[in-house]
Amino acid sequence: MHGPEASCGKPSIRKWYMSLPSKAFQRWLHGIAPNTSTADVCRFSGVKRTTLAQQLVRGKVAESSLVSISRAFDMNPFDALAQFEAYAALRGTQVPPTDAELVSQISTTDLLRAIIERSDPREGAPALVLAETPHASSVRNWVDAIDDGGLRHRVSIATGIAPQNFSAHLTANRLPPELALATSQAAGVGPAGGLVASGLVTEAEAGWPPGARRDALDRMTEGELALVAGERLQAMGKALRRHEHELDHSNRIWENLG
Amino acid sequence: MTTVLAWATLSVCVILTAIRIPSAVRGENRMVFVLFALISLDILLSIEGPYMLIDGWLGNFNLANLLLRFMLYGTFLLMGIKVARAFGSAIGERAIRGPIGLAVLVATAVLTAVFFFSMDTRGSSVGLSDLDAGPALELYAALGRLYPGYVAVCLIPGIWSSVRGTGPGLLRAASATLLLGLGLMTVSQLFPLIPDSAEWLRPVINYSAALATALGFGGIWLSKAVASRKVAR
Repeated sequence: MHGPEASCGKPSIRKWYMSLPSKAFQRWLHGIAPNTSTADVCRFSGVKRTTLAQQLVRGKVAESSLVSISRAFDMNPFDALAQFEAYAALRGTQVPPTDAELVSQISTTDLLRAIIERSDPREGAPALVLAETPHASSVRNWVDAIDDGGLRHRVSIATGIAPQNFSAHLTANRLPPELALATSQAAGVGPAGGLVASGLVTEAEAGWPPGARRDALDRMTEGELALVAGERLQAMGKALRRHEHELDHSNRIWENLG
Repeated sequence: MTTVLAWATLSVCVILTAIRIPSAVRGENRMVFVLFALISLDILLSIEGPYMLIDGWLGNFNLANLLLRFMLYGTFLLMGIKVARAFGSAIGERAIRGPIGLAVLVATAVLTAVFFFSMDTRGSSVGLSDLDAGPALELYAALGRLYPGYVAVCLIPGIWSSVRGTGPGLLRAASATLLLGLGLMTVSQLFPLIPDSAEWLRPVINYSAALATALGFGGIWLSKAVASRKVAR
């Protein structure tokens, strides 16, 4: 489980939203669309022109821009990312996702539907079709699925990110791509999982076989499924309660002073 | 500079009071309207022009200053109860309207009156700045800062936890502004430590406190309007 860079790395102060260097990005863009103006690239891909211009000037292009542009030019964004030095880990044969990773990318509602489908099968009921990735708590569920107990600590050592900042990302259900990569490396799983969980690429783009999540779901016993769904419900209930509590608090202020 | 700040604070408060008129007419939260009208009057009475005029009517012996003190105590009692309840601070509310809070209020009010009438207060001067300095005047001024400071301290923890919470950004920003105002009122307890050479700091702190508090309330209304618009959409 321990990657060599995870256990002996000195804390570094790299920024995890550092993104892709402009120069390399422009070289890549020229490679896929040599005769297209930047304006047209933006029009095809839906990336805002001002946004891209700003990213280019600052020398850092967001991975999400690259993903939108490669999709517009019918290129696999996962392969496009792999061409950049920071994403060299995406090159070559991919380590397939573990069952736990696959199940973590199934939404809580779908897990509950699966339980009902299994325990109370009805004739003529439409078969369960899993919702697309990512789902509302996909990032935290993915990290929980690959965590052996010391993952957060190792990610923190490998990347220099403070544990509370890492947690904040999980709570907000987002994960900067490079941090996603570092997390999968620290856990010793394939590099794609975090990119799928954070919604940067789809499971198909990441090379997960079609139906892989469904198959992993079907491989679970009823007990395993109930336990996973139970944990999810528990976490969801807590998050909802917290939200409701905050809402009550705001409403109270507004009622008294508004 | 101080005059500009004073009039700016007064205009902000008057505008905010005017904004509250329609909802007060509809019967929504009339206390907030009363609170703002009181704050506006407090500020009006602390500006030289209006003060001299009103004190003239009252007989030129600075009775207007005593009136201002009592109005301030009322303002803070009302604001303290409202704000503590709004921010869900049961301890804060008890500390303000419970026996201890009321005892502090009554003691402050009685002592304020006692010290006022023990002094020779003839000759209108805003802030009593032209009266002969002495321990009675010092104590009178300190009492005037004490009760607002007491209420501010009672309110700060509740508001602070809201600022740190995860509510709507605008509401948290407004709460932080309100917190700043109350924080400045707490700081004003240290006025006797300010050297005479930096005397300009006192009115600056006072008006900044009032301004931040008023803007904080305004921000809370704004955040409510924004939130209900979001829900409507």
